[in-house]
Amino acid sequence: MTELGIVDIREIYKTVKEIYNYDFSQYAMTSFKQRLERLIIKNNISNAENLVNKLKNNPEFFDLFLYEISVPSTEMFRDPSLWRWLREEYLPDAIDKSISKYKIFLPNCVSGGELYSLTILLKELELSDNVNILATTVSNKSIEYIKEGRYDLKKIEVSSENYKRFQGNSDFTDYYTLDRYYAFRDTGIIKDVEFKKQNINFDDSPQNVKLILFRNNLIYFNPSLQEKILQHMYNCLSAGGYLILGIRERIRNLNIIKDFEIINEAEGVYKKRIGQ
Amino acid sequence: MDYKAVIIGGSAGSFQVVTRILNSMPKNFPIPVLLCLHRLKHVRSGFVEALSLKSSIPVEEPYDKDQLKPSHAYLAPANYHMYIELANRIALSTEDPVNHSRPSIDLSFITAANAYRQKLIGIILSGANKDGAYGLKKVHDNGGTTIVQDPNECEVRTMTQSALQLTKVDHVYSTDQIIKYLLKL
Repeated sequence: MTELGIVDIREIYKTVKEIYNYDFSQYAMTSFKQRLERLIIKNNISNAENLVNKLKNNPEFFDLFLYEISVPSTEMFRDPSLWRWLREEYLPDAIDKSISKYKIFLPNCVSGGELYSLTILLKELELSDNVNILATTVSNKSIEYIKEGRYDLKKIEVSSENYKRFQGNSDFTDYYTLDRYYAFRDTGIIKDVEFKKQNINFDDSPQNVKLILFRNNLIYFNPSLQEKILQHMYNCLSAGGYLILGIRERIRNLNIIKDFEIINEAEGVYKKRIGQ
Repeated sequence: MDYKAVIIGGSAGSFQVVTRILNSMPKNFPIPVLLCLHRLKHVRSGFVEALSLKSSIPVEEPYDKDQLKPSHAYLAPANYHMYIELANRIALSTEDPVNHSRPSIDLSFITAANAYRQKLIGIILSGANKDGAYGLKKVHDNGGTTIVQDPNECEVRTMTQSALQLTKVDHVYSTDQIIKYLLKL
């Protein structure tokens, strides 16, 4: 196994910054290193130097790099209690009160686990027509992957257990088909979703969003970058809009916490303060 | 040796051992204790409370980027990997399970070995799969101290035996000996 040193990683930062103007230097080091090592193994690249060369000469490979560096959502309906909370305590009422179409933003989708979960939830609530969903990805490959609907069998199995705990009102098998090697999620569920490629700074995010689902993304950044990206998320939200983070992501040590109200700490739900 | 952290990995049959270790620790144990134990991924609460009951030092499930403190134990949260960053911080991750495990003992041990090098003590306890064996080897390769619970004492010995097969460890200890060793730090 190729193990990358600090010097190798700095060289990779530098190359990517110079050629593509993407700055990864504020990503959390251990997971970034691990993602790079995984990319090297999966693509039969022999060492860091070859990785750097490939990045320099091949924009298509850079797209794959962006895909591999982003960590896919692990499963559908991860943390079933959050999805139950959305269904029982929040979404129907919030959507009902919304004058225009209720706008939902999912930044940095990688494999669509969160997106498919959300669209299933809305379908079961019969609210699909009352929302606008924008899903962004940092790579083209992610968009292709999500639109194809393909999913690992193991992940479908875990998702199916989650769905049972979520107590959805259908049979989870209604939402996918199987062949010998893969599950294929029903892409009809995401047919009205708007997809867009976005840069890793998230400074090109939309406006007037009512709900942002951004779980388990901040864990891959250092605190200074977390703060910066949360500021962009804050700017996207309309007053009173909701931001949902992963259950082990805590923003109470960041300055930006003063601009949010904690709605449900156990599930990572925050609300943009009104009048700011 | 001036150690900076102890990391303990275990699975089936390790709960009682960890409880005894935490129970016997002095309140001012000089370094942080990292615990990576296999657990049910959908059960969020209960485990840390159970470990806290008899522990003489506080046991927490860390949040991402929490700073590690001495005389505290940190239990890897359900359904996350727990990494150790260079700045003495925890970093959590939702990357794919390794050896069907998330948290993965291997990943916690590898990142801790990277962060602390020779100033780390790695301990593998009773368990039913081979997770942790490779991680303990990395602790050894980086000059850290390696301890494996005596397989004869383990409820399930797969984990300790896998570790012993891969690495020439420094000590094979019973629970009592592990406790005695840690008390001397």
